[in-house]
Amino acid sequence: MSTSRHVIAEKKRNRSSWLLSLPTVIWLTIFFLIPYLVVIIYSFLTPDTYDVKFEVSFDAYRQIISGGYLKSFFQSFKLASITTLLCILLGFPVAYYIARANEKLKNILLIFIIIPFWTNLIIRIFSWRIFLSYSGVMNQMLMGAGLISQPLEILRTNTAVVLVMVYVYLPYMILPLYSVLEKLDFTLLQAAMDLGANEVKSFFKITLPLSVEGIFAGTLLVFIPALGAYLIPQLVGNQKSLYVGQIITYKIKNIPRNWPMASALSLTLLLLVALMLLIMYGMYRYHKNRRKY
Amino acid sequence: MADIILQNVSKDFGSFRAVDGVNLTINSGELFSFLGPSGCGKTTLLRMIAGFEIPSDGSIMLGQTEITDQAPYKREVNTIFQNYSLFPHMNLYDNVAFGLRVKKVAKAEIRDRVHEMLKLVKMEDQAQKFPNQISGGQKQRIAIARALINKPRVLLLDEPLAALDLKLRQHMLIELMNIHDAVGITFIYVTHDQSEAMSISDRLAVMNKGRIVQSGPPDDIYERPASIFSAYFIGDTNMIRGEVTAVHEDYLELNCPDGEGNYFDIDSCFQDAPEVGEHIMLSLRPEKIAISRKKPKEQDDINFVKGQIEDILYLGTHTQYIVRVGQLKFRVFSQHKRVYFDDEAPDWEEEVWLFWHDSDTWQIDFKESDILEAEELDEVSGMRRYLKRGKS
Repeated sequence: MSTSRHVIAEKKRNRSSWLLSLPTVIWLTIFFLIPYLVVIIYSFLTPDTYDVKFEVSFDAYRQIISGGYLKSFFQSFKLASITTLLCILLGFPVAYYIARANEKLKNILLIFIIIPFWTNLIIRIFSWRIFLSYSGVMNQMLMGAGLISQPLEILRTNTAVVLVMVYVYLPYMILPLYSVLEKLDFTLLQAAMDLGANEVKSFFKITLPLSVEGIFAGTLLVFIPALGAYLIPQLVGNQKSLYVGQIITYKIKNIPRNWPMASALSLTLLLLVALMLLIMYGMYRYHKNRRKY
Repeated sequence: MADIILQNVSKDFGSFRAVDGVNLTINSGELFSFLGPSGCGKTTLLRMIAGFEIPSDGSIMLGQTEITDQAPYKREVNTIFQNYSLFPHMNLYDNVAFGLRVKKVAKAEIRDRVHEMLKLVKMEDQAQKFPNQISGGQKQRIAIARALINKPRVLLLDEPLAALDLKLRQHMLIELMNIHDAVGITFIYVTHDQSEAMSISDRLAVMNKGRIVQSGPPDDIYERPASIFSAYFIGDTNMIRGEVTAVHEDYLELNCPDGEGNYFDIDSCFQDAPEVGEHIMLSLRPEKIAISRKKPKEQDDINFVKGQIEDILYLGTHTQYIVRVGQLKFRVFSQHKRVYFDDEAPDWEEEVWLFWHDSDTWQIDFKESDILEAEELDEVSGMRRYLKRGKS
């Protein structure tokens, strides 16, 4: 009898939890599931000058599989990888320094990290354009200091893209790294030193392994958006080598339009991201299982 | 042979002087304790020996070598940290092996020595566990194994038992002593717990305000405290202040005010002969005082004074009485069934006689400033009020 009462209570609870998640379910259905279904359907249609013909076609996928856009995908992967790596290398010391600072300085520094978010991304990228341009602030300063005799042509190069990418995504790496380093027990480093490890060894044996979770989280936040980068390459990069994000936009913007191709490329990118997530999750699980803390 | 020599060691943090001119020699193989209230500088002193703090002044020698400015990882000294600081991402085996791996010792040797260490601390069957899977006492053992595997000359222990419960603490204390006997190296132990320090140490140093107040074997410090601070910090005590009225060959007579205008006379043995008319301070341990309803038989070397019971605390192993004699409050520890002459223990508000032997009191050097310190240390008895009034 008590069991049946228990089952009824369980059912009731299930029903109410369903009810509570209903708004989220509706929201996701309208703004996520349905649009994606449209994209999936479009990717299997035939392109027309402006719109699509409702005839099933696998052309878009055939082109992708035959390697037509391999260079762009590679390009995007390279950009995302370099950006992530530089963000880790630059973000780690910053996060470490903030985590070890006293309470007052800590808060001030964290505000400095967050302040850029208050300005619109496009405005920030445009300021970089002005800063990096041929007769811009940077070149004038470097020439004024006598470091260079001729203005550097950084704008409209891949270097500029990486530079601005790192600038934009660095906070996304610093914040998760900070949150693990802040919880790191620094007496562990003293213990390591006490046992004979110098500063370098203590870092690689203690600090780094204990901040892996932060590196994972930061990589997730930087690598995935960087893979689909459009805005930054478009505004500070050149048009010689296009990133996947740019190609997808051109397929829709330029006439004759190719909606199916754009859709198929988007879905391929999504698939790659999902694959990346799965690989990272697997790595994380492996790491967790190996070290049961 | 001396293992650690501290010469005039001081440490300033900004304008705060944490350690103030400490001179000390710790012998090889000794179990030495630093004992003092929090903020007395004992941990700072330990951290300077470990190398985590550099002294502002003075020098530290490890055997024949000066290590004052040496990096922690170069010293033949290892530390047991207060919260053990085991590496959470390594299993117990890897934790213990850490020191040897860093020194690039051969794999086979590491394996042998880790097993030997795990065996010493009775953890050999748990090597594959992680620090969060074991209890506090076990963490403690691993921390000891991890430090001792490096064969340090000196092992530093920073309040190692503070995080454990009472029973485990007592158990680990014995275990620590056994390990000390087994490895035979110098242990330097820091604690604020006087019973821990007393039971474990060969010698100990009582610290206060960055200075060593007194150092020596535990029984010596307990029986013969050098200052009011030592007397109050190591155990409990009663302070009696009085004017010397006569000095005999092996004892002196003292006239003591009770703070309410009355006086009582006692005799006491003494160390450095005071002069008649001088005011001296005596320490009288609570367990040395006997308590009784009836007046004891007059005897030459027995002192007695009449008082009224103000408080009774039953503490299991003994009962603590607070007995008021005028303004003066005596703290008395009495074992049960050892109440003299009476069958029943005295009750609240009853009039009782306190008595003790001439040799139970110990004369203490004191400065007026020490009395303020006593005030901080002893909240229970009204001793400080009495001591202050005794001045006039």
